[in-house]
Parts: sequence; structure tokens; C-alpha cells
Amino acid sequence: MRTIYTTFMCVIWLCISAATALAQQRQVTGVVTDQQGITLPGVTIAVKGTSAGAVSDAKGAFSISLPGQQATLVFSFIGMQTREVQVAAGQSKIDVSLQNASRDLNEVVVVGYGTTKKSDVTGSVGSIKGSDLNRVPSANVDQLLQGKIPGVQVIAPSGQPGAGATIRVRGYGSRSDANALVVIDGIPLGDAGGIKQVNPDDIESIEVLKDASSAAIYGSRGANGVILITTRRGKTGQARIGLTALTTVSTLGNKLDLFTDPVDVASINNESRINGGEAPQYVGQVIGGTYYPSVAELRGIDPTKQPWPYNTNWVDLVYRNPISQSYTLSADGGTDKTKYSVSGNYYNEQGLAIKNGYEKYIGRANLEQKLKSNVTLGVNIIATWTKNYGQGLSVDRNIIFPAYNPDGTYFHIGSNDYNNPVQIANEVLNKSKTLDLLSSAYISWDIVKGLNFRTRISNAFGNSISDNYQPRDATSSGYQFQGLGTVSNYDSNHLIVENFLTYDRDFGTKHHINFVAGTSYEAQTVRTSSIQGQGFVNDILKDENLAGATTYLVGNNSTKSVLESYYGRFNYSFLNRYLFTFTGRTDGSSKFGANNKYAFFPTGAVAWKVNEEAFMKNIPQVSELKLRGSYGIVGNQGISPYQSLSLLGSYKYFTDGGFQTGYGPPFFNDGSNTNGKVFNGLGNKSLKWETTRQLDIGIDLGLFNQRFTINADYYFKHTTDLLRLNQIALSSGYSVIQINDGVIDNKGFEMGVNAQILQGKFDWSVGGNFNLNRNKVLNIGGGNSIEAAQGDIEAIRAPLNYYINGYPAQVFVGYLFDGIVQQTGGTSPVDGTVQKAGDLKYIAGGPLAVGQNGKYIIGNPNPDFTYSFNTSLKYARFDLSTQFYGVKGNDVFNFSKFTPSAQLQRWTPDNPTNLFPSVNSTRVNYASDWYIESGSFLRIQNVNLGYTLKPQTIKGISNLRVYFSGSNLYTFTKFNPSFDPEVQENGQFGGNYRKPRTYSLGVNVSF
Amino acid sequence: MKKLKYIALVLAVTGFTACKKQLEEKPYGFLSTENFYKTEADANSALIYAYSILPDLDYYSRNFITLTESPTEDIEIAAGKNADEVLLDKLSATPTNSVLRPGFQLPYVGINRANLVIAYVPAITKISDAAKNEIIGEAYTLRALHYFNLVRLFGAVPMHLEPVDDPSKTNLAKSSIQLIYGQIIEDLTKAAGMMDQTRRLGRVNQVGAWGLLSKVYLTLASGKASGSPGYDFVAGADEMYAKAKEFSAKVINEQTAYGLDPSLVAIYDVNKKAGPEHLWDASTDRTGTNEGLYSKLPKMFMPNLNFRLPGGVFVPGGFNEFLTESALYNSFDANDKRKTQLIISTISDVNGGNSGTGPTQNLSITDSYTRPFSNKFNDSGWQAGDQTSCNTPILRYSDVLLVYAEASGPTTEGYAAVKAIRTRAGLGDLPPGLTVQQFRDAVLQERSWELCFEGQRLFDLRRTHNIENILVTKYGKSVTGDPYFFPIPQSEVDRNPNL
Repeated sequence: MRTIYTTFMCVIWLCISAATALAQQRQVTGVVTDQQGITLPGVTIAVKGTSAGAVSDAKGAFSISLPGQQATLVFSFIGMQTREVQVAAGQSKIDVSLQNASRDLNEVVVVGYGTTKKSDVTGSVGSIKGSDLNRVPSANVDQLLQGKIPGVQVIAPSGQPGAGATIRVRGYGSRSDANALVVIDGIPLGDAGGIKQVNPDDIESIEVLKDASSAAIYGSRGANGVILITTRRGKTGQARIGLTALTTVSTLGNKLDLFTDPVDVASINNESRINGGEAPQYVGQVIGGTYYPSVAELRGIDPTKQPWPYNTNWVDLVYRNPISQSYTLSADGGTDKTKYSVSGNYYNEQGLAIKNGYEKYIGRANLEQKLKSNVTLGVNIIATWTKNYGQGLSVDRNIIFPAYNPDGTYFHIGSNDYNNPVQIANEVLNKSKTLDLLSSAYISWDIVKGLNFRTRISNAFGNSISDNYQPRDATSSGYQFQGLGTVSNYDSNHLIVENFLTYDRDFGTKHHINFVAGTSYEAQTVRTSSIQGQGFVNDILKDENLAGATTYLVGNNSTKSVLESYYGRFNYSFLNRYLFTFTGRTDGSSKFGANNKYAFFPTGAVAWKVNEEAFMKNIPQVSELKLRGSYGIVGNQGISPYQSLSLLGSYKYFTDGGFQTGYGPPFFNDGSNTNGKVFNGLGNKSLKWETTRQLDIGIDLGLFNQRFTINADYYFKHTTDLLRLNQIALSSGYSVIQINDGVIDNKGFEMGVNAQILQGKFDWSVGGNFNLNRNKVLNIGGGNSIEAAQGDIEAIRAPLNYYINGYPAQVFVGYLFDGIVQQTGGTSPVDGTVQKAGDLKYIAGGPLAVGQNGKYIIGNPNPDFTYSFNTSLKYARFDLSTQFYGVKGNDVFNFSKFTPSAQLQRWTPDNPTNLFPSVNSTRVNYASDWYIESGSFLRIQNVNLGYTLKPQTIKGISNLRVYFSGSNLYTFTKFNPSFDPEVQENGQFGGNYRKPRTYSLGVNVSF
Repeated sequence: MKKLKYIALVLAVTGFTACKKQLEEKPYGFLSTENFYKTEADANSALIYAYSILPDLDYYSRNFITLTESPTEDIEIAAGKNADEVLLDKLSATPTNSVLRPGFQLPYVGINRANLVIAYVPAITKISDAAKNEIIGEAYTLRALHYFNLVRLFGAVPMHLEPVDDPSKTNLAKSSIQLIYGQIIEDLTKAAGMMDQTRRLGRVNQVGAWGLLSKVYLTLASGKASGSPGYDFVAGADEMYAKAKEFSAKVINEQTAYGLDPSLVAIYDVNKKAGPEHLWDASTDRTGTNEGLYSKLPKMFMPNLNFRLPGGVFVPGGFNEFLTESALYNSFDANDKRKTQLIISTISDVNGGNSGTGPTQNLSITDSYTRPFSNKFNDSGWQAGDQTSCNTPILRYSDVLLVYAEASGPTTEGYAAVKAIRTRAGLGDLPPGLTVQQFRDAVLQERSWELCFEGQRLFDLRRTHNIENILVTKYGKSVTGDPYFFPIPQSEVDRNPNL
């Protein structure tokens, strides 16, 4: 929407330049740039006290006539702070750099079906410009938002190329789908997480609709917040070609906790087996065709044996320091009638693990054509192609044995070992390709002054094909099936037809009205199919000829869902001080039960611009003071289609010489048993939306012409009718039914602070965000006060995360750890077995009636708060910015706690520690707070040092900035430093794809 | 303001005509009760679906065996395995024991599927009466089998006789043991009158229904006679014994397809599934794509080593979960072929890999981890991986023959039936002149040897009121819970307020 203002400026410029043609005394020329030295076209330059003025051209250059020897020039530009510059006598050249007005009150924000001035926002809308996103190399937009917008938490536990993140807006308020809705250029795309369709270089701005009032325009999909991404548009009078290039080297970010001495591996393994009542293996014997050396042999003190030749460094074999690249070429510009913006991006990210990478191409074209003075046509197309290949590999493999046999084949430890990571990397085919096409076309018609009608047809198409082949020799599934090949296809199409009217008008000098009213129709179809072949003659063809398999497994599926909506937003402001907003949407969704197809989501908001009051005029230091309040109802329809229906599933039975297919009511065996084509349990005709009532109270404060700003919000979200699978009486013959049941509250406080401490040649600004969310389960499980969030976890033979009335969502449940059993004797309160010296000592009998004995709440994966701060320094042509991100107060359940270094500190009769148990190969483990560690961390997310060349230093290049950037540089944490403490939302950690530390060299050029 | 008219027009044209019809879901690729149950093929398919629950790993291909064998002297759970299984081994299962849940749930899944057949197939017109009767009869038999399992495992339980198709029908109160047995007898009697004697792999026929009915009557008879808890309602034990004899006699005399297989090993040979003993099996095949379509049950019994079976079959490694108990192993006569042929004590090429060689290992019954294991569950055509074609027997001819013996008591027919079994096992006859009680005890012991590992022993001990006498007194097992009925799983108690 900046285009409107640019156009506006041009009109002014025309008027001004006509006036200045009259008087000509003295000519001053120069170039206007922004903080980064990027030239600024269209800057208005006025001579103070006169009507004379000029506008900078496409290369930022200007020329202006001064009426006298000394004068003051006033440079102004939308989004920049207006700057006054004295021109000395005799000075004929003056280059000026303008500062970003980071909190310019006239800035425009996108709010869904329209835009509004930032100062007129009544709800809670977080906004960030594309240039202010995290400057880390990233395949997705997700990570670029981490720590950037108050109230938005980005959880990115994986360092795998192309990996997405979890984005939570104001906490976790749904068990079926707590993801925010992502809208790209007006196209509602679906759940946040892995927003790969947009090139970060193309982003004009990202807005996050957080409170009920602002999100209500998306009705039944707004309860978890809405993320609006707007890509760049062409601007009038400006033709620019830009090139950005970024080369990144990744390195291992953690010091690894691995065995380095084969003697330790063998002696601990022997000890573990002996403690477990099994025969030790490393005694110099052949097991399964593999020779297990004795400990003495490994030590090299067995005179009858050669020294053991292997100590395999798996890290060297599996990890690497890969180089990743990203290039963007863009062009944008326009005339009064036509505006365009096109770009292409190639992104290639290589993983730390060998043979693992991600490639992406994005092409984008945006065109706006004025057909008539009041009719505009626009087209927007984004095409994204990605390829993902390889997999994460483990480096904690036994170092006693080599990677290869002497003949060059892969070494296996015994005949049932299929975990050679080098072989998996080289031989397992794991590849997926995706193609996404987002396209939309619109016609905008200014019917009468202030009244605009817009019709828009959008389509989001997505396709993916994955190839997987597991050779018989490389993985256990490959062995089990003698070659296992799978080809999976996914194809989705989402059509959106929208019509809406916008009316914007002043009535007199006191009243201003803006309203939007519209309808939309969305239809989404998803088709999937997969073919699996099991059993091949050999592994040569991989999955290329599945017809050659002994057994086939074929599946296909298709779903369609429809959403019909009416929406409206009415803004009224009185005296530009008192602002009122009413927003509502009616959604009708096919996904819901026959009895509950439609729902209405009404909201309201008020705001008071205190700084516009007469009494505030005496306090000019306060440039903005706004109080906001909103309340309303939004919904969440996050379930798959057909969940309200009773459908028949199918399964097979072997009879009469072959498998015959039967049909009947499907059966979920807790999801753990994929009994053929299961779809759901019992149908529920009354299924409906989740409903979230949210109250928001906020304040926006700006001081000293917005050099110092604070935005703070308190919110209270009350979510009822949680959509969830309910376990029903086993005797019904079903396990589950999809129901609306349960209440979760999220309340919190979020704040963003920005300060421009120094301005001028030395420029220093700092900023920070703070988010505090308190999550509480008020009711779950139809009268039961405790409900597991997942099925049994193998390692602890029970679920770990639970929903418990009165406690935060997903708390850990287990026994209490009471040190290590020092003397064998007594029975375990957990399973009644005899407690052996070296075992973990548990305290059972807790208040929660789960398991054989009562358990306790042993931890909370929800953080107390998350925070981030950044500082940005500029001196002359250098710039240096640093970003920190932190999470505080969450518990992590660390399944990987008993690391090699911990095993070396294990309990033994000679080391009667209370920290770590003995090693025992047959011990049964239970969840206890022994596993719990603090997940708090503070990370130096990014340091970016740049240098901008003086404009036109190189002929033809209007701008050139080179920069060096380091990401994930250091993490302050008490968590095991061999791992990254950023873990998934439920707090479970069992080893992630390691997040690399990266160093990048980048260049931005524009012509 | 003429333009406003245009706006109204534009909105009218571009705005959609809202109607609920667009929001109706027409699922693609799914059948529903509305468009199914129309043809004979549909009826067959509905029945196949009802059968398909039987070999589920949570039913006959694993869980049912864990549930019924581990509490007895047949097997114990290896150390370090599932704690709930270990507790079950001590018959001290609490309602939250994870083994109980599927043991309770899966029969109900099967019941619901059988109820659908019983409810919908009668209305199908494009089907011959014979085919229709056969299908409905098999569904009745399936329902009876599931309730027979439930009532023997848990006692009084909810009894669904109609399909559950609405949330309002999910929670039923318990029906008494008496009512449930009444229904089982009614269903099986009805079924036996509807089915033919054609043998269909994995399916039941008239002979199977008779056999099952004889076991139901024997359970009632011996439960009443022994004073086992829960059988007070039975009017007269003798009357029930007579019924058990009547129906087991039908199995012996009123058909030509079934009999004792002269070779013990052949009974369990996956290539001879149509052998004369197989009245009813939960059918699997190694070409299946999921566990349940194929069986991993053999691996539960086998040591966690790779080795070759005596026949040369390569076993890629067992789970070592079920260890043969010395109580059972030592109770066999040294020459009993059911021990020498059906329990494997020597394995070869241990840890030699698929193509390699290795030492031969003699398994010791006193070893904590690697013991002699059952040869009843294996696959002579075992290829790579876990998939086997091993069926779990639901009803075998020798089982019914021993029902006949027990029901007949120390009569000529009774002695003759036991003799047939013992002769095949390479043993001599029972001593003559046994009292009724002595004879029935001997038959019970014979059943232990003949049917061990097949999910029969727990029920035999329960119905004869022998848990304390045999498990505790004779074998010294500790029993801490109610040994006669398992508690109804907590997950049912929590969800069903009408219990």
C-alpha cells in the first residue's frame, strides 16, 4: 500500500516542480540514501521557508535550486524520518542519508481484506518489514520470525535442511491444531510451519493478527492468530534490478558427547550386560559372524593378539562443513499505469549430515495494470519448487567396529545390524520434490469516491512426490521385506473466490468511517496415493520398477472441504481520537457435523489516541499514546474432513487361498496399529468449531518523535469446545470419537521496546521483545481430570505428557527420583521388582492415578517467558547488528541424558554416586524427574557486519552492500552442551538433527 | 447513486447462493452403511471384515496368548520385558494393566462387526438362502466366541447385541455371567443350524460351532461341579456334562472331514493348514502387509539369537519374551512326543547369520534367558524378516476329543478318547478304574500337555477351580489378584458410567 503514497507523492512533486521552474539562483545536487546506503528514489526535498522543492530520481539523485547562499533543505520520505540539512555557502554537492522511521505513525499495516494506518489500529497487530526479519540463511520464513514479534513464539528444534518450525501466537490453545493461519498475498494457505513458498528477499512485510478483533476477519481459522505475508510490489517511477547472493558455511555448533576410547565402549557394554544378567560380549568371541574383541585386546595388552586396528571416528565420516547458497535476482518498477515486480530465487542448503540437502527455486511475478482511471487489474503468481533428499544420520555408533569391510562393503555388527550411517547415507533413497503454485488475479474498481469493490480469485496448488527405497542390506525394513520401495504422491488444490467492498470516507472533520464487507467461497481438495513394493530380486532399480516386487501395498485417498463465508469490518473514528472497530465473520464449513455447519464470530475493539487530546499538546515529548481494548470470539476448525461421519474401513483376512477384503466400521487401535484403511472412530453429527474468547488490553507509547517506543499487551484467551479425539468405552467396539470437549486458558503479557539511542553519523538503536504466557487446562476429558497427550513411549513404557485440570498443557508425568539405590534389597514401588544396587530409586504413590502406582507431575515444558533483544550500530558506511533470543523456565525431558560422559560417571560399587545409575542392559526405565533438565537458554542468534559502498562508486551500480553474518554463534545454557536446548513444544528431547553454526558472506547489489 | 445499483447487482452475481447442500460432505473412496450391505459380495465382505479381527496382534496373534498363557505354569515373561506382563504372570493384574485392555477391547470390535452382519445381511435379497444362512451363522459363531472369551476372562461384562452406530449407544451396563452364557448357547445353537460343513480356511462351520458349544457346556459343567466362582447359577452340572458330551459327540461322529492327525508336527506345519485337526484357526499368511495379516507370534517364544531350527529353517532372531516354565517342561513324561517333538531343545548355527554356520546349542530349562521353546508356532517356509504364516488355533479336534472324554467321565468312551490322544503322544493308557474326579483330573492334565501354549490352560484351571491347587500349591507361583476373573480395564471403567 506504499504504492498509494508513492503515487500521492508524485502528484505533489508535479505541482511543486511546476512552481520551482520560476526562480533559479544556485544549483545543489546530491544523492539520497537510506541507512544501508541504498539509494532512495522519490524523496521529497523542500527548501525550508519557500515553496521550492524537488524529488529524487530513480537513482536517488536530486538537483535543486536554492534561492540564496544559505538554505535548509528538508528531506522527507514515507517510512523515513524527515531530516533537515543545512547547506553552507558555496556547497554544491550534498549527499544525505535518511533514517528509517522505525515506528512511523503513518506507516501502513496490512490487516486482512485491507490496510490501515498503524496509528489507527485498534486491535493487536504485530508488524515487521521484510528488511527487519532475521538475517539468517533459512529455507522457510518461520525462523526469520523468531524473536521478532511480541506474542509470536517460533520453536525450531531441527537443523535439517528445509526443516520447518512451530509457530505459536499467544500460547497453545488447541489439541487438534494450534497453528496460526498463514495468508500469503491474501491467499489463506493453511497452517503455519514450513512457510517455504516465499523468498525472504521478496517480503515487503509480515503482519501477525493476534487478538480476537483483528483475527476475526478470518473467523473460524483465526483463533490461533493469523500471519499475513505481503510480497513486494512495483513502485511508480522506479526501475530497479537487484541481485543478492549469500554463501554460507555450516559447522557443528556443539561439542559432542561421544565415546572416544574403544576400551570404554567394550568395558561399559560388558558391565551393562553382566548387570543385566546377560553374558558379556566383548570377551574375544564371534557373535553373529562378528568378532567381539576382549577388553584386554582393545587395550593392546593381550600378548597373543595384534593391537585392535579400529577406532572409528563416525563424526568425520558422517558430518561435514557444507556450503549452502542463495541467490535472488529481482526487478521492479512501474509507470502511472503499470507496475511490476518479478524475482527469481535459487536456494541450496546442504545439511551437516552427508548426502542430505534441500534445494528450492522460487519464481514470482506481480503485475498491476490500470485499465481505466478507476479500474485496476492485478495478477500475482508465485511458483515454488523444492527438492529434499537424504536424512539425518547418527554419529553415536560403536567406534570399535569399522565402517567398511576390507573388501569395501559396509560393515555390519552381526547379522541383525542395519544402522551403518555411511551405508544409509549412500544407499537409502529418500527424496521428495514439491511444486507449489500460488496465483491470484483481482479487479479493483473505485466506484465512487471512497467506495471500492474488489473481486479476487486465488488458487493455491501444491504437489509432492516422494521416493523411498530401503535396500535389503541397509535397513531393517529393507531386510525384513527384502527391499522396500515406496512412491507417494500428494496433490492439493485450494480455490478461493472473494468479493468485497471497501468504503472509506470522512464525514465532516470529525467523523471517519471505513468498512469492509464481503463474501468468500473456498474449496479445497486433497488427493494422495502411494504405491509400495515389498520384496525385490535385487536392489539395483530401487523404486523405479515397483511392478517387480513380490508384494504390493497400494493406497489412495481423496478429501474435499468447503468453506463459505461472509465477513465485515466497520471502523469508526471520532476526532481522530476515539476509534471503534467491529469485526465479524460467518463461516460455514463442510468439515463439521450436520447439526453445526455455520458459526458466527463477532468482535469489537476500542482505542483512544490520548496524544491527540488537547491536554497532551503541552507534552510534545509524547508523540504517541494509545490505549486499546478488544474482545470477541474467534474459532478454530482444525480437523480433517469427514471426521463427523461414520464411514466404513477395510481390512483383509486370509481365507480360501488368498487375502480377501472386508468392509466395516473402522477401528483405531490408539493409532499405534495401522489396521488397514482406518479413518475415524464413531461419527459425531454434532461436531463443531473450537471457540476462543479473547480479551486484549494494550498500550502504544512513543516518545521523542518515536525515537523510543513501547507496545505492550495483556491478553486472556479462553478456549472452549476443544476438538479432540475422545476415548470411548472399549465395549462399544470403537476406541475414539471426535468431540468438542475441554477448556484451555492462555493469558499473558507481551511487550516490544525500541529505542533509537544515537542518531546521525553514529547511529545506534536497540530493541527487545518479551513474551510471557501462562497456559492452564481447565477441563479435559469428560469428567476425567487427566488425559494423556500421546500413547505409550517405548523408552518409558507410558505416556509422558498429560493434560491435567488446573495445570499447564502437556506437563510431564512420572515418578520422583530419589537418588541411586546403594544396596540391593527392598522392592521397587514402581513395579515390585527387587531393587538392585545402582538402580534409580523411585518414589511412587503420587496423586495421579496412572500406571500401577500413583505418579506425580514432574515437569512443565511450557516456558516462563521468551525474550529477544537486538542492537544495531552504524558508523559511516559500516553497520553491525546483533540479535539475541532466549527461552526461560521450561523443563526438558531428556531421553538422551545418559550420554557417554554420564556413563563414565555411572554408579559402580566403587563410585557410589547419586547422580547416575549403573549401566544395565535389561533395566526397565520409567519416567522420573531424573530425566528433567532446565531448557532455559539465551542464544546469540545472529551477528551481521556490513559495509555499503558509496553510491555510484562502481559505474552502473547504484548500490552495493557486502556483509558477513554469523548465526547460532553461541548458546548460554545449563542444558547438556553437546545438544541444542531448543526442543519441540512438548519438551521431549531425544536427539535432534543438529543445528549448525553458520557463517555467511553476502552481497546485495542493485542497478 | 445509480452506481449503487450496479454494486448490488455485482454482489448478487458474484456472491454465492448460500445453501447447506454445498457443505454436505460426500466422502470419496469410502463406503458407508447406506451404500453397503446390498449384495452377496457385500455380505461376504462384511463377514470377512468380522473375521479379520481374529489374527490381530492384539488378539490371537499375540495378546490373547500373553493374557492366557503367562499367568499359568506354561510360560513366564522374561526379565526386563513389559512390567505389566510380568505382573500378569503373577496373576496380579490391576485394572490399568496394559495387557488387559486389548484383551477386553478386541472381542468387542469383533462383536460389533458380527452384529453388523447379523443386523444387515438378513435384508439382502440378491443372495441365496443357503449363502445367507451360512454368513449369518458364522457371524453368530464369531459373536459367541468373543463373548465366550470375554466371560471367561472378565466375568460379567456389557453385552451388545446390536451394532453401535451412534454415540448414545456406546455405554451399556454389565450383563450377568448367566445372561451371557445364555446368549452364547443361543447363538451357537442357532448358528449350528444355519451352517454347512464345508471347510474354508480360517472360517468356522457347523462342526466348529458344535465343538465350541461343547466347550461352553463343559465350562458350565465343570465350573458348577468344582464350585469355581461365578458358576452358581448353573442348574445342574451333570446336565451340562451331558450337553457337552452330546455336542462333542457330534463333532466326532457327525462329520467326515476332521480327526486326529497321526503326526503331531504336521498339525503345526504351515503347509498343512487344511489338516484334520483344524476346526478353526485365526488365519495369517506371510505375504500379508501388516502384522495381523502375518504373524510374529513365533518370535515371542524364540531366543534372541539367530539360529536354525531342527528342520533347517533359519530364524532371524526371536523376541525372547515367553520363556517355557520348568513346571510345565518337567511335568512331561520323558518320552512324551509332545515334549520331544513339540518343544525345541536344540538349535544349530547359533549366531551364524543367514548363510553362515555356527555352533549347535542345547537349551536348558533353567537358563534365565534362553530356554527350550514351543515348536507349535513357527513357519517352515520362514523367509527373511518377521513375517510368518503361523496360525493361532482357536479350536482343534484333540481339544474337542478331550472335551468329550472329560464330559464322558471314566466310561469306555472316555477312556478311548484319552487313549487316542496318549497313543499319538507315544504314551500308554490311563490306569483303569479311576474315579470320576481322578479321571477328570487326568484329562485336565492331558489337556495341559496337549494344548499347552495354545491359550487354553488358564481357562481350564479357572473352570475347574484349580488355580490355587495347581499354580500355587503344586508349582509355587504367587498369586496376588483375583485369579478367576480379570478386572475390567480402567479405560472402560473411566469411559463407561453405566458399568
